[in-house]
Amino acid sequence: MNYLLTTLTKKQEVDSMIRDTIDKVLVLCFGRASDSIFLQLDEILYKSVREVSKFATVALVDIDSDDVQVYVKYFDITLIPSTVFFFNAHHMKMDCGSADHTKWVGTFLRKQDFLDVVEAIYRGAMKGKLIVTCPLPPDRIPKFHLLYEDV
Amino acid sequence: MATLADSFLADLEELSDNEADSLNEDNGDAEQMEEDVDGDLADIEALNYDDLDSVSKLQKTQRYNDIMQKVEDALEKGSDISNQSIVLEDDPEYQLIVDCNALSVDIENEIVIIHNFIRDKYRLKFPELESLVHHPIDYARVVKKIGNEMDLTLVDLEGLLPSAIIMVISVTASTTSGKPLPDEVLQKTIDACDRALTLDSAKKKVLDFVESRMGYIAPNVSAIVGTAVAAKLMGTAGGLSALARMPACNVQLLGAKRKTLAGFSTANSQIHVGYLEQTEIFQSTPPTLRKRACRLLAAKSTLAARIDSIKGDSTGKVGRSLRDEILKKIEKWQEPPPAKQPKPLPVPDSEPKKKRGGRRLRKTKERYALTDMRKLANRMAFGVPEESSLGDGLGEGYGMLGQAGSGKLRVSAGPSKLSAKVAKKFKEKQYGSSGATSGLTSSLAFTPVQGIELSNPQALANQLGSGTQSTYFSETGTFSKIKRT
Repeated sequence: MNYLLTTLTKKQEVDSMIRDTIDKVLVLCFGRASDSIFLQLDEILYKSVREVSKFATVALVDIDSDDVQVYVKYFDITLIPSTVFFFNAHHMKMDCGSADHTKWVGTFLRKQDFLDVVEAIYRGAMKGKLIVTCPLPPDRIPKFHLLYEDV
Repeated sequence: MATLADSFLADLEELSDNEADSLNEDNGDAEQMEEDVDGDLADIEALNYDDLDSVSKLQKTQRYNDIMQKVEDALEKGSDISNQSIVLEDDPEYQLIVDCNALSVDIENEIVIIHNFIRDKYRLKFPELESLVHHPIDYARVVKKIGNEMDLTLVDLEGLLPSAIIMVISVTASTTSGKPLPDEVLQKTIDACDRALTLDSAKKKVLDFVESRMGYIAPNVSAIVGTAVAAKLMGTAGGLSALARMPACNVQLLGAKRKTLAGFSTANSQIHVGYLEQTEIFQSTPPTLRKRACRLLAAKSTLAARIDSIKGDSTGKVGRSLRDEILKKIEKWQEPPPAKQPKPLPVPDSEPKKKRGGRRLRKTKERYALTDMRKLANRMAFGVPEESSLGDGLGEGYGMLGQAGSGKLRVSAGPSKLSAKVAKKFKEKQYGSSGATSGLTSSLAFTPVQGIELSNPQALANQLGSGTQSTYFSETGTFSKIKRT
């Protein structure tokens, strides 16, 4: 009985997760449990984990843990929650109309949106692409302003 | 049965005997049951149908009396532990039990005969009673109670029958077409009822005796269904080996009562269940699973009977394990099904699309197929610049379409199947054109080559197919030039 999504706190766990997910999209959501938007995202993810299980794995990463700061810095995660997609240890980028293609910021408005995004990533990855376009219309994509610090 | 009806008419008029050929069938059965052989037809015809003794002889036979005596003795003695060391066939008690089984079958047949007798006699008084009360013993009891009474409100039938049937009987009696019986006939009928009841009690005694010994005779069957039911099954089957030989579906139906419907009632009459209905296991299963449970019980008890008939297991261990198995199976049936989990989505693009084929698809594809005109336009002749729609190489090229020397003056568009649909939709636009061809067409064409080109009627005949067929790869073509070197 799986009552929780897999939560990763150590770098080694994240590493093994990325390496060991073969031929499936790996969805890593970075966030902290106190954030309301992260909880909304978590709700949607929990509902879709089983449906998507044949071609995707979902895992949560706690930003506040020290081990994982390497990844936080590497992916430049400042807004919570942020979701990064991997396929066979390649980082998959997605063009959602925003400036940042490397990750998905924020929650999904509906479960179906999440499923659509994961499917698009999967199809693109199977074709060998490393960047895909987002299948969602722009009104369904949550907007965030990217603030540049010290630039 | 026509002869029987005639005989009753005769009875009504004179109340005399004879017409004994009607009771040939009854007597024939009775003859088989009895020990004394009475095959003489003359004797049968001479028999008095009025006399009960002529119809049922079992109670008078020596065999019957011997066995009943032994049974009573044995019942008084109580159950004694029989020695298992003696081969069971030699055990006198075992022989007695075998005899009891046969006797119980005989008694049952005898009861049926007597029931027929009573029924025939009582028809004059209350003909509808036989269709209301089917069971022979119940019928005998009711007849005895009612006697010659015409008013049924004075008769108390409580306890003999279910109240619904008592009510129906009272109602029918008030409108019956029967007449009171003469005394002697009545006396004979009452005698017959008494005899039926004594036979019934004798059968009960025999069954009790068998039941008490059941633990030793058939321990495995008794372990599964209980001693009482096992005794009844054995009694009805006619012995342990007979029970063992029966297929399980028959064992299931041993003792099944026929439906007795009072009016339109269909309640409480279980179909296809016999003595097994009385077993503890059956009673404790929920009603929805009863049919399955009955089949299971019948199957396992048949197995146990087969083991018992060859004395394969005298301790009853197999019976107990079979019983446990049955209980476990029934438990399993009652388990709720496992909770349904939502099905995960299939992997995208993993299932190839199902391509359809067939005439219909071909026809729809034809509408979008490449036409000959387009084929010609796609090709070009070598070294010859093609014409174009806007002239000078601008616009769409015409390729081989309309080229001089192609043998065709005009390539007609042909009936475009696509346009047929479009034409159907916009019918108004067709109203404008008046005929198939306009008045300005002629068989002359002006080609870029100087002069006028006329179509060669022979060329059409020579050509195979349209100008799209390549002559280079043509199967019927010949060498164009052969040089002698």
